[in-house]
Amino acid sequence: MEKRIIAAQKEFNLRKFFFQWEWMLVLILIIINIINASLSPYYLNFKSIIDATMTFLDKAFIVLPMAFVIILGDIDISVASTVALSSVVMAVSYNNLGLPMELAMVICLVVGTLCGLINGLLITKFKELSAVIVTLSTMIIYRGIAYIILEDQASGKFPQWFSYLGWGYVGGIPFILIVFAIFAVIFGLLLHKTTFGRRVYAMGNNITASRFSGVQVDKIKTVIFTLAGFMSGVTALFLTSKMGSTRPNVATGYELDVIAMVVLGGVSTSGGKGRIIGTILSIFVIGLLRYGLGLKNVPAQMLLIIIGLLLVIAVMIPNIKINTGKAHKLHKTKA
Amino acid sequence: MSEYVLELKSISKSFPGVKALDNVQFNLKSGEIHALVGENGAGKSTFIKIITGVHHQDEGEIYLNGQQVEIRDPNEAQKMGIAAIYQHVTCYPDLSVTENIFMGHEKIKRFSKRILWEEMHSEAKKLLDNLGADIDPRSQMGALSVAQQQIVEIAKALSLNAKIIIMDEPTAALTKKESEELYRITEQLRDNGASIIFISHRLEDMYRLASRVSVLRDGKYIGTWNVNEISKEDLIVAMVGREITQLFPKKEAKIGEELLRIEGLGKTGFFADISFTLHKGEILGLTGLIGAGRSEVCQAIFGIMPYDKGKVYLEGKEVKINNPLDAMKLGIGYLPEDRQKQGLVLQWEISKNITLSTLDKLCNKGWLNASREAEVAKELSEKVNVKANSVFDTVSSLSGGNQQKVIVAKLLNADLKVIILDEPTKGVDVGAKSAIHEIMSDLACQGYGIIMISSEMPEVLGMSDRIIVMREGRITAVFDREDATQEAILEAAMVNRAERELAGVR
Amino acid sequence: MSEIVLEKKLKVTGISKFRELGLLVFIILLSVLVQLRNPNFLTLENINDMIKNTAILSILTVGMMLVIVTRGIDLSIGSTLALSGMVSALTVSANMNLHPLLAILLGTVIGTACGCIVGFLVSKARILPIIATLGMMNVYRGLTFMISGGKWVSAHQMPASFKAIATSSILGINVLIFIAILIYIIFYYFINHTRTGRQIYAVGSNPEAATISGINTVKVLWMVYTIMGALAGLAGVLWVSKFASAQGDTAMGYEMDVIAACVLGGVNIAGGSGKISGIILGSLLLGILNNALPLINVSPFWQEAIQGVIILVAVIVNALVKRNVDRKNLMRRKI
Repeated sequence: MEKRIIAAQKEFNLRKFFFQWEWMLVLILIIINIINASLSPYYLNFKSIIDATMTFLDKAFIVLPMAFVIILGDIDISVASTVALSSVVMAVSYNNLGLPMELAMVICLVVGTLCGLINGLLITKFKELSAVIVTLSTMIIYRGIAYIILEDQASGKFPQWFSYLGWGYVGGIPFILIVFAIFAVIFGLLLHKTTFGRRVYAMGNNITASRFSGVQVDKIKTVIFTLAGFMSGVTALFLTSKMGSTRPNVATGYELDVIAMVVLGGVSTSGGKGRIIGTILSIFVIGLLRYGLGLKNVPAQMLLIIIGLLLVIAVMIPNIKINTGKAHKLHKTKA
Repeated sequence: MSEYVLELKSISKSFPGVKALDNVQFNLKSGEIHALVGENGAGKSTFIKIITGVHHQDEGEIYLNGQQVEIRDPNEAQKMGIAAIYQHVTCYPDLSVTENIFMGHEKIKRFSKRILWEEMHSEAKKLLDNLGADIDPRSQMGALSVAQQQIVEIAKALSLNAKIIIMDEPTAALTKKESEELYRITEQLRDNGASIIFISHRLEDMYRLASRVSVLRDGKYIGTWNVNEISKEDLIVAMVGREITQLFPKKEAKIGEELLRIEGLGKTGFFADISFTLHKGEILGLTGLIGAGRSEVCQAIFGIMPYDKGKVYLEGKEVKINNPLDAMKLGIGYLPEDRQKQGLVLQWEISKNITLSTLDKLCNKGWLNASREAEVAKELSEKVNVKANSVFDTVSSLSGGNQQKVIVAKLLNADLKVIILDEPTKGVDVGAKSAIHEIMSDLACQGYGIIMISSEMPEVLGMSDRIIVMREGRITAVFDREDATQEAILEAAMVNRAERELAGVR
Repeated sequence: MSEIVLEKKLKVTGISKFRELGLLVFIILLSVLVQLRNPNFLTLENINDMIKNTAILSILTVGMMLVIVTRGIDLSIGSTLALSGMVSALTVSANMNLHPLLAILLGTVIGTACGCIVGFLVSKARILPIIATLGMMNVYRGLTFMISGGKWVSAHQMPASFKAIATSSILGINVLIFIAILIYIIFYYFINHTRTGRQIYAVGSNPEAATISGINTVKVLWMVYTIMGALAGLAGVLWVSKFASAQGDTAMGYEMDVIAACVLGGVNIAGGSGKISGIILGSLLLGILNNALPLINVSPFWQEAIQGVIILVAVIVNALVKRNVDRKNLMRRKI
């Protein structure tokens, strides 16, 4: 029997390299910057673009774990409520319980993590329930608890230094941008360079085969939902710092923005596909788009419409592609 | 007018890599029960799917009452009066029995389009009564037993005025009593003028019911006999056919000490009282009909579905396996039956698939090592001779046999002692088949213990050192290589135990 | 022995009847408890008020049930309700002598259009219902703010005839209740006595089999979301008339109440089953809770969390019951 030599080197395919969704995002990003620049003569300098990131980066922290969740083929719509709950608990710990702010911040992260852990455990223990229905109900519960704690009050009066998180600079670069960059690198490495990330992709593509291959699917799913909770806690920190006070209705509608960013970033809602770099680009696409429209005094409501439409359109485009691809595949397996 | 209500001539159908049907003939007389038998994978399912319009034949003609017809989709088949009752019933579990019977052809008032529930219920009741079944047409389909659901499916066929009824393994999930009931109904249908194609693994079904029997083997038509003219033994020979024509590359492996011992394993509703041992260098064949619980036993050992009774010993020590990871850490690997759903990530390249279950071994503290992965994948896929150009080819582009080799390579990468292969050569072309057999032999020589689940008789006989036969969740026979014959195995797998004991007494 | 009897009974009566009975008992128990705490609860006036409040909820619940039966979910209805309510409020405030029936018609048409778009996205463009409705929820909400310019339409801007929709009565029954009853009768007939109605259940129970039976699943899905939109539009007019004000944030989050009522009423979140009698009880229970909690001095801020817990517990109980039935079925298989 002839022995076949199988190549183990990847060939570089120029066409494939440029035929990627991320380039599309880069293009959109450039267009948005050109438009923004034409709207405001002061826009196109390094400093103002950098400063613009402060206005939208708070929710970007959740985008990173949400990419993992959607790659799994699941969804988490409780993240905004988690932000609200952790933020409210932090404020109350500091203002009403008299705990030191540092401890209150830790509590904020712990609460977020716990919320995520509860989601993860419910989803893995009750496999009959989809992530949609579980996170839908915890979304109501978490925000409900925030309302129980603070009713319709606001809680502010944080120490002076706390505002540094949201508004401070390190060497001319916003602190929030630095922290985000660090998290982005961590999540990017986790997804693309570790066994954990590989297994996440495997689960998103074929969860049964992953189970048969010894992947601890329940454990990984729980970890990912917990991560989503933790990062919601991080968002709560920055958001609260930026606003200087918090209310139970804080971060309302964030789940839409976050999911829109992930999906626009090329992560398929049917799971198994997408990259962190795409979601990061799309954070900037949506963020700068928002900022630009703000320059033009477009009302906030218009933004709701635009983001909603963006989400729907972003899902529709790959769906069209996948449909033809699926038909092809079906044909193949059937034939 | 033709003597036959249905006649199929020279039907051929190919799927990539497999010729599922090769020049098959078949005819059905009016008012007869015609049994269609053959081993798993003989092409029976494909054959009936062509009659019911699910697949379309590549070659050949179909005649209905002497007229040539084209059956393009299931709806057309339905209109021609052909109905099929499948083993896994395709019903609406949430809807009522009546609705399941009348879905797609409800009775409605002409102008108001109102559904005439009362009339449908009473008609359903009448249909069910005629079948002698005491089923309330208003009850929910999902609340019925499998046997009752099948009767409802039959009632549906009747409500469609089906003249040709195909029953695909209807007795597989039924108890003896329920089967008896089904026989009675089938005979009644025949007496009322329907023609029935009855597919079954159980020879007792066939002898009880059919007047003629056709045998398929490896997608080929073997012959048709009147049931009273052919003995059980001859029939089995016809089904199994070939004196083992393939040469199996079985090498003599040294059978060493005990590796795995299973004692009294059981799981409610799936299997019970399973005990066996596996030794180093041994290939243990596990055979029986589909649904006998073979895969379930092995999946329990592998930690996919937990068992609720019994013990598992590995190298003399009792072990508790909660999930596949535990199993693999202990050195037990499993090659699943459904390679596309359970074995592979089809969208992925070969190398990632091979390394998925052994990532921890190839990584550095959790960091992927792409070049090492590619090297290992190259080495392994060359070892099992995967036909691909690069380890970065996607698995979905490979043929069935090569996909299977990829899964074998995946197992080889793990440090295993026990390898369980579930239908390793199902749907695989001849070349790849013997390659997989060769790999299996080599593994046994290297001291692995191998459990091979297979429905294919020559493979079981040709490869195994010992053979375990299961039927309906229990072990019915164990043979040594020297003592095993096709007939004995088939009998243990197919014939009811009580009946066998009776025959023994006689 | 007793277990066999119980099993037989379960088989005969079906689990759904058991659940309905349980729900009814629970409603009665709850009423008695609340009555003991606050004797004002079971007064004619309060009951009338309660049922009036429940009317709008129950209208929406019918539509949501159909959506959930097809294995979907619709988060956009709160926004659809607000949008159509706002449009009709603006119209009547501009044309004071517009006939109230025309206002109702207008609202319903707007709602139908909204639902039709969602239906297109789900059925034709094959977007996950959760994503499509999340996106459109924001689009419709944004539109509501846009057309109102962020302002309220308050009671004095509306003609008396319009406000009278909710207060007048037909045949001695309040109009809201009358409309709800009418809709329940129509839909009872529709889903139980027409082929199209039954096809909705077939699609939800087994989509593949439905396609083989020649059912046009795309049409059915599209129709279901359109019906949902139409009912939300109708509810929008009734809502605005009842509260005599239309705001940008009208009925924000109300979709959760509706989903809760469905889940409580035994509509299976996995699709295929759901009954009119069940959702009547479900809406009633939710209506009672909303009414009773303030009466027994539960802070309104607790309501949201309680609702979330109810949804979660209801779906978990459903899952556990199903597990139990499956286990029993396995036990019956003798080996």
